Amino acid sequence: MSDQFPEQFVRWDTFSSALWYRSRAGRYRLEGTRCTGCGEKFFPPRTGLICPACHARSMEPYQCAQTGEVVTVALDDVGFPALGYGDALPRVQAIIRLDDGIHLMVDILQVENPEEVQPGSRVKMVLRKHKREDSGAWVYGFGFVLDRS
Amino acid sequence: MVGGAITPPMIPMDWTWRQMAAEVFWNALQGVGIPVKDVDLVAANYNDRAIADSSPGPQIADALGILPKPVIPIANACAGNGIASYAAWNAIASGRCDVVVSLGFARSDNYDAMEAMNTQGNYVDYDYMMGMTHINYGAMRDSYYRRKYNVPLEAAGAWAYQCNWYARRNPLAANYSKPMPVLEELCMDTPDAERDRQATNRGGVASAMVFVGEDIAHQYTDKPVVFDVAYAFRPPYIGNFFHYPVEGMKEYDLAELPGLMAAAKEAYEIASIRREEVDLVQVHDLTAYEGMMAIEAIGVCEVGKGKDYVLSGGMTLESQCPINTYGGGPAFGHGSAGSDFQAGVLENFWQIRGEAGERQVKDARVGVNTSYGTHHSLDAVGVVQKGW
Repeated sequence: MSDQFPEQFVRWDTFSSALWYRSRAGRYRLEGTRCTGCGEKFFPPRTGLICPACHARSMEPYQCAQTGEVVTVALDDVGFPALGYGDALPRVQAIIRLDDGIHLMVDILQVENPEEVQPGSRVKMVLRKHKREDSGAWVYGFGFVLDRS
Repeated sequence: MVGGAITPPMIPMDWTWRQMAAEVFWNALQGVGIPVKDVDLVAANYNDRAIADSSPGPQIADALGILPKPVIPIANACAGNGIASYAAWNAIASGRCDVVVSLGFARSDNYDAMEAMNTQGNYVDYDYMMGMTHINYGAMRDSYYRRKYNVPLEAAGAWAYQCNWYARRNPLAANYSKPMPVLEELCMDTPDAERDRQATNRGGVASAMVFVGEDIAHQYTDKPVVFDVAYAFRPPYIGNFFHYPVEGMKEYDLAELPGLMAAAKEAYEIASIRREEVDLVQVHDLTAYEGMMAIEAIGVCEVGKGKDYVLSGGMTLESQCPINTYGGGPAFGHGSAGSDFQAGVLENFWQIRGEAGERQVKDARVGVNTSYGTHHSLDAVGVVQKGW
């Protein structure tokens, strides 16, 4: 811990800048894939992989919906300090169903009262700072907030 | 199957994984009088990065003193021992080997191992790096299951209470000599009760099972049991639990265990049994809720009716099909990550041989056990039957 890096930065995690970079389209803008053979949509993306439904190997990029609703929610009051997620507790984690039917597990951010987040709550995607890499650079990716509009 | 062994709870902190593996390997062979030199093959599951990082096969073979005989190393999370047993089963069934030992071990009370388990518990290169661990997955699953099937805290408390009751009658349980919890306290909606309803942390555990061909089993014991095993997978990303376009999975979501259903179906078929014939069941339950989900998936009761089975006394020795006589999660915990599968098989082995002491199920002939890894992306089912 330090003033410069207030979060824990000595970690034994398996964070990989290379992995994060390769998956940037999904992490920054929820880009998944769609099978051109049968139309099934997938997230996380299955780029270059085989479709489990029709067994074709023909995936194309697919822009997932960026709004949806909460299916279920659970508080995490421990976090995962080893991965740089030990502050701002409790974390409000939820399974959400995007408006195109894809399900994700996400953090619901900017929640003052966790009771606000209930099954059926509307949510929308935001880009957020996740954590720092060991180099000090910020890692960005998707998060969700309650859609109060 | 002619014998087996499991380490006692709370083994010394200074034991290495090699000592743990050798301990159960030795004890299992000694128990049936098979010399080390007669072992043809070892199939070993482990759950520890320190082992995974560098060529585990010869390291394990060297520790067990069986070189140049081979080891099949398997690292597939907590139920990986089911896969090791599957490999052992096939080695015997093919006729290639006469004596095979299936082994599982985890020196899980160090951070390296905890890290390894956490990554294995998720879609490793995706949401794990977002700080979502398999513990978070489990919490999500339990809350969803509770809500979907309206499961009361009393059912979870009763599950944990009955497991603890059996654990006080099992010298191998971590909490064998500890005071019984109070049922009413286990049913409370408090963080302490929530913790007490979950699996205990047992530390590192190792276990071993000895398999031989059916034609030579009576050379080693007058009470062999017949062992069969199957396992099945489900996609590891939790969002895909709600929709995965494969028959047998898309009908279910986070509150059911289709991988376990598939594994149970195959296991029953290969063992030529009907579920009505099952006399007792051991499930791998880190929480009471997933214990209920497991008994639903293997057909002990209907999907969503686990709470009714528990609250009607279905887990007890008086039931048609007692559950978790080994003590389940409260007895064996998650520290047994290398041996979760075998803990259930061994209990059924001893039960069917009539060696389970105070927790003995009367006239037990067929026992089923389940184990899971990667929050039920991997499910294994074992069946043991009286073989004499």
